[in-house]
Amino acid sequence: MITDKRQKNKLASCHRRKLWQDKVIKRIFQGSAILAALMILFIYFFVISRGIQPFLPSYDGDQQNVLSFLTGNRWRPDMNPPIYGVGFIVINTILTSLGAAIISFPISVLTALYIAKVAPPKLRAVLTTIVELLAAIPSIVYGVYAAGTITGLVDDFAGLFGISTYGGNSALAVILLLAIMIFPTITSLAVVSIRAVDRNLELGSIALGASRMETNFKVVLTSAKSGIFAGLALGLGRAFGEATAVSMVAGNRMIGPTLNPFDITRTLTTTILTGMHETSPGLDYDMRFSVGIVLLLVILVTNLSIQYVKRKVGGITNE
Amino acid sequence: MNRARRRKDFFRTAGTWASAGLSVLVLISVFVFVFSRGISTFSFDMLTDNYWATNYLLDIENGEANDFVPPAATDEEKYFSRKFGFSLVDDIDKENNRLMVVESMSALSPLHEGIIATAGSDQGKTHPVPLGARVRRIDYTNINGEARSAGILGQDSSAAKTIERLEIEAVSINGLFYQTTGGGIRGSIISTLMLIGLTLLFALPLGVSSAIYLHEIAPRNRLTSWIRAAVEMLAGVPSIIFGLMGVSMLFRITSLFGINTQSILLGSMTMTIMLLPLIMRQTEEALIVVPASLRMASLSLGASTTQTIFRVILPNALPGILSATLLSISRIIGESAALIFTMGTAISDNPKISQGATSLAVHIWTVMAGEQPNFELATAISLLILVMVLILNLTVKLLTYRINRKWQV
Repeated sequence: MITDKRQKNKLASCHRRKLWQDKVIKRIFQGSAILAALMILFIYFFVISRGIQPFLPSYDGDQQNVLSFLTGNRWRPDMNPPIYGVGFIVINTILTSLGAAIISFPISVLTALYIAKVAPPKLRAVLTTIVELLAAIPSIVYGVYAAGTITGLVDDFAGLFGISTYGGNSALAVILLLAIMIFPTITSLAVVSIRAVDRNLELGSIALGASRMETNFKVVLTSAKSGIFAGLALGLGRAFGEATAVSMVAGNRMIGPTLNPFDITRTLTTTILTGMHETSPGLDYDMRFSVGIVLLLVILVTNLSIQYVKRKVGGITNE
Repeated sequence: MNRARRRKDFFRTAGTWASAGLSVLVLISVFVFVFSRGISTFSFDMLTDNYWATNYLLDIENGEANDFVPPAATDEEKYFSRKFGFSLVDDIDKENNRLMVVESMSALSPLHEGIIATAGSDQGKTHPVPLGARVRRIDYTNINGEARSAGILGQDSSAAKTIERLEIEAVSINGLFYQTTGGGIRGSIISTLMLIGLTLLFALPLGVSSAIYLHEIAPRNRLTSWIRAAVEMLAGVPSIIFGLMGVSMLFRITSLFGINTQSILLGSMTMTIMLLPLIMRQTEEALIVVPASLRMASLSLGASTTQTIFRVILPNALPGILSATLLSISRIIGESAALIFTMGTAISDNPKISQGATSLAVHIWTVMAGEQPNFELATAISLLILVMVLILNLTVKLLTYRINRKWQV
């Protein structure tokens, strides 16, 4: 009788311990998930709070003017007093990224169509792997590649028009490099959204007498439209944020927007990165955070457009 | 189908083939470029050498001429000094400068008894000249008791002339000035490994437990979907912003440990945050394929949630966590922008966790960003990075394929 009771007690305490253990473990896991989620807030908070410092009256150093920062067309940290204008850099960034997207987008979509619909199964697997590998190549390797080959090509190409370049470092080189770098992003998203297209739509189109390729172009691509454009927006986001590789071929122009593709350029990311090893804490350092805020804003706008396009996706492909 | 439609169809098909072909071409061209340019500089010495060349100025006592027997197999290129028992060969360094390298030494050669003459803590210590030392100057006494110099700094342009001069004039050698081979990436390899280890130490527990919470424990409520949205947003932040975050936010944390500079610790904490979305997604994908029946069986046998998580779910999700680890390693190896901010750009031969150092990718950045870009070294390191990243990614692909097959059967 006594041993029975003891056993019962033992069981009960074991059960209690288990429940208690469950609670603790759950809290720990929940805590780590919340910590992970908070990081995005921390990033925004810390970058913004440091980046707005130079524009506040309390800044110990030369206080900067927000308006002339945002609209300025010169970036001359070497002058005395230094001039920081980010307006032309934003234009450069948007121009180069858009240029890359214009080159990369059609090629990506056609490749995605090939992978999803046209290719024989074995080639399909090979190409999927190739796109994944292209996505996995680190940006520094793309940078070395661009500095070694793309700049040479651009230089030769400019030579045809009798234009001399800065050793090939140019807006065009940046555009070509970014086009290569965002290709896997757009392609892989396009493949996913093309695969998600309802098979019955295709069959219906074929039953109505359209050929396979006509169906692919007019029915499949149209249905997968929203997903494909989400991929484009994601690719643009990558192009805006790409730093190391771009800074290896951009040049670093200090004045005005670059409209000539053979001229050197300067983007938001290269501005943050350039001269890092020779700068010390101070105005020049803090201004990099201010440029970071501008970059975040540009990307936020892109992200919002992704969300907007995503919401439109729902109807056709997700059924 | 009429002819016009057929022609249109043909062009459309050709368009998709051409685009796909173009992507293959791009990949091949990246590979061919990195391999063809990198392989000529790449060597195993590069992996083990320091980046910074060190100079040694040695005094040599008891350096009187003797009679040494040259090693049996001496070919034309090696010049042996019978008086002092060592041989030199000509070589050219990566910057195309001529140099002479110690190729062999007899057991009793006076070169074994060098004493460091440079002022510093090592002054007066015995320091035998190592094989492979790049000899710049050899000080000797001639028959009249006058001090003279041979070697590249003593106007001898080649090993042959240096040895010839010593053989004819020298009575004893008194000193030697040499440099170690620089331009290697040993330090950067070590700091990359440190960075990988530390980052995984922080990121895996955090990422895996977050993923388990989201997939196994979390109720379907607003908080959970907020967490998911926040983590998804984190994945879209460019790496350079992570770098800015690292130096402004995480720097305060490392300061608490008394680390007031850029450091490997700071870099690894930054990488941790950067990798969270990747690890969480990979782990969750692995959790999704674990059949629900396993969990139910475990719970119905009386196991608690904790026991189910640690004894049933985690072991089954292990391949997924492994692929998350491999992908993380590949990302850490390739990351540059964030690390330039948090670990600095100064190449270190003796990396310490509390000090700045360069990972392999940042090493490339440093040698390319200087006044005279060292393109050869950059491509050689690129080759190393590319091969590692490819192996890691292909392994993950294989692993994923096997997991999916396992649960399908």
